[in-house]
This record gives sequence, C-alpha cells and structure tokens, in this order.
Amino acid sequence: MNLLYRLFLILRFLGHDLGYALSYIIESIILILFVSISLIIMIYSFRKYMARVQMRIGPNRVGRFGSLQLIADALKLAGKEVIFPKERDDLPYKVAPFLVFFGLILSFAFLPYGDLAWFGNLTITYSSVSIIFIFAIIAIMPIGEVLAGISSRNKYALMGSLRAVAKDISFEIPMMLSVIAIIMMASARTPTALNFQSVVATEILPYGILEPLGLIVFFIAMVARASYSPFDMGESDSELVSGYSTEYTGMRFGIFYMGLFGSIFLGSIIVSLLYLGGFNGPYSGYVGFIWLMIKATILVIISFTVWLTMPRIRIDKLVNSGWKYLLPISFINLVLAGVLTLGFGW
Amino acid sequence: MEVKEPKRKFPLIGIISGMISVASHGLKKPITVQYPEQKPYTPERFRFRISLKLDDCVGCTLCEQVCPNGSIKMESLNRENPRNKRKIYPDVNFGTCTVCRNCEEICPTTAIYLTHEFETSRTRNSFLYSPTELTMKEEDVKK
Repeated sequence: MNLLYRLFLILRFLGHDLGYALSYIIESIILILFVSISLIIMIYSFRKYMARVQMRIGPNRVGRFGSLQLIADALKLAGKEVIFPKERDDLPYKVAPFLVFFGLILSFAFLPYGDLAWFGNLTITYSSVSIIFIFAIIAIMPIGEVLAGISSRNKYALMGSLRAVAKDISFEIPMMLSVIAIIMMASARTPTALNFQSVVATEILPYGILEPLGLIVFFIAMVARASYSPFDMGESDSELVSGYSTEYTGMRFGIFYMGLFGSIFLGSIIVSLLYLGGFNGPYSGYVGFIWLMIKATILVIISFTVWLTMPRIRIDKLVNSGWKYLLPISFINLVLAGVLTLGFGW
Repeated sequence: MEVKEPKRKFPLIGIISGMISVASHGLKKPITVQYPEQKPYTPERFRFRISLKLDDCVGCTLCEQVCPNGSIKMESLNRENPRNKRKIYPDVNFGTCTVCRNCEEICPTTAIYLTHEFETSRTRNSFLYSPTELTMKEEDVKK
C-alpha cells in the first residue's frame, strides 16, 4: 500500500483528478518535511558527535541540550545581508545552490522506502528505470557546484570547482560499475532489474555479502560524491577559502551546507538499499521503513566517523586512487558477479 | 642520513584502527567546564581576594610599604576605632595586585587577609576597593 493511495482515499470526495493532484502535492510536502527534519537531526547529531570526539560539549545553549541550535542558525543565515560579487555571472550564480538542493530532493522522491504499518510507502512516484533515473539526478548536483565556482568570478571558487569536477569524474565510473554488477545479479531473478524496488525486493542475500568488493567501492564513491573529508576537494577550507561556496552568503550558503548533509543521507540510504538489504528484515511488511532507517543511520554514523578521522588527501593521490585502484577493483567485482550469477546461479 | 620508507601494510587496517579510536573518543566524557554555572576546582589553600577587618586594623601602613606594586594606598575613613587613632585604612587596587600575600604576612594584627573568592572581574574598568568594600563579600560589592 502506498501513502499516495491512502491520501487519495481520504480526498476521494474531490473526484479523481483533483484528488490525485492534491494527494501528490501533500505527499511531496510530507517528503520535503521528512528530508528537512532528517537533515536537521543529522546536522545536530553530527555537531554533538564531533564535539564528543574532541571532548567538548557541543551546542547546549539554545533549547534543551542545544536542540534548537540548528533552527537558530537557519534564522541567523536567513536574516543575513545577501552580498553579491560585483562581476558575477548573474543567472548561474543565483541558480547554482538551488540546482544542488532540488537535485537532492528530487532523488529522494524515487527511492523505495519500504512499508510503514498503515501509512504505506513514502515513495512518491515509480519508474521502471528508477536506478538509472536516480543516478542521473545525482549527476546533476556537481553541475551546480561547477556553476557556482565559475560564475562567482573568484579564483578560489574556480579552483575548488575544478577540483570537485576532477574528483567526481574519477569516482563516477567505479560507482556506476559496481551498480552494474548488482543489476547483473538482479537480472537473473527479476525482469525489471532497473527498478529499485524490485531489485531490493527479490534479493536472497544482501548484495553486500555476495559482493563485498562492490560494497567497499560504492561506499568510497558515495563518500567522494558527498564531498566531505577525506574527499572535500571542492571545499578545501585550509587552502581555497571555502572552495566553490566562497562567494556565497546567507541562505544560499546554508543551502550548500544542507546539500552536503543531504548527500550523506542520500548516499547512506542508497548504500543500505543496494548492499545491505534496504527495507528487508523481519516483519518488513509493517516496519520496512524502520529497517531502512536503522541501516541508513548506522551508515551515517560510519560516514561521520570517516569524516572526523581522515585528513584531506592530495589531489593527485585522489585521482590515482580513483583510476588506479577503485576502477580495477570494480572490474574484478563485475567479473566475480558474473561468475556468481552464471556459474552458481545465485 | 637516509630516511627509511615505512613498511607498507594493507591499506585498510590503518584507516579502520583510526576510525575505531575516533569512535571510542565519542564515548568519553567531555572535559569542558561550563564556567559560570559550574565552578572550576580550586585547591583548599587557594587564596585570591583581599579582605579587611576594620576593627583590627591599626593603621600602621606596613601593608602599603610592603606592597611590591603599590596596589595598596592608605585612605582616611571617618570611623571610631580606639586602636586606629589616625583613622587610615588600606585601599586596594586589584588591577595591579599580583596576590603575593606580603600584606597578609606582614600585618601585625592579621586585619588584612586573603580569602578563597576569585571572581573579581568587572565590566567597568575600576578595580579599586575602598576599605568598606574590602570588608564586604564580593557579591555584595558588585551590587
């Protein structure tokens, strides 16, 4: 059962067309709220976790245990004066942060979330090629970073965006190759192997057990995609002032910041769906959504630990690790997946 | 001298052990002291703020003479005290006091002494304490 259909059953008295239109809008608002609230919880818990790792207390002034700190920060950012650089390229400069954020929100609309008791599935719309669709949307987000870097007319922003492009290109291919391995294995069981829902629903064992190499490669690629340490080439806050977001102020900067955490959340959900079984688990018909969130939360904590542990690696080593290590490993993974599928019939 | 290359180990082991040690720090207690609400630990024999007993002070000016920074000046105060005929009492400037405790040591009647209080910070730039303010507690002076 789908949340959209539940909403339609409530709004049935408005007729077919108007009822569906309204329930689509309401479900989109629910999804945006879900993403925003998870982002707020994530940023708060990241700041608390980072504080504890550094033996500090962290935010504790606004609200109980500092829980309203993020809302206070957002209000502060929204109330700030917006300063535009004089020689900017106007349209790309203004559009870039929203491109990043809308790409993020849009990709959440296609993920299969699993069922939650009466409410059903949060997925807004289905597509028979949703895996391709999601990775296409994810590939839009770096374009926002590039536009931001080029249109700011600032050397640090430009260098930051060029580094971000180098990073994204060198990790895109291993990422997609390890996804192809999963689609190969899934195609033995389901005719719609490009549909996220059916790939996850028809698995026997989680794909992370069948292809651990793919899990490692894909997770590293998702870390690089979300661009936090050790792959925060786009930001490089110790060398390039703040990378592509140098010239941004106020809420536009806040949107870039939200986009960073949103990419971590999105990456964790995709990794847990593809490799850790996603919404599968005991009583998945009722609490599948909660299984997915538990797995995603564990991955988010691992991502935070990675962020806090590692320093930024040099740009040439980064490109090397993408092309010379991850790419061959993902090819080996592809071959192993083929052997498992055709030879053993898993 | 030639620098030896470190032995190359399997790359993931170092990364994972680093992550484990970072995560284990996340379970430790913070060492930050939330100052105004939570007082820091001060030893029992810690002394900072100078206090005065007006009845015991004989106005001998020894504390003024021994003070290395000239923080103590004698000030006349109209107060009946048979032991203090000249009616002069010490006046302390905490802006220059280094808490050497010479005044406490030399005072023949132990009228001037140092207490455990240490929060003498001010928003206004005046650290001068008149003799009557020295007899009071710090909270009352701030009022």
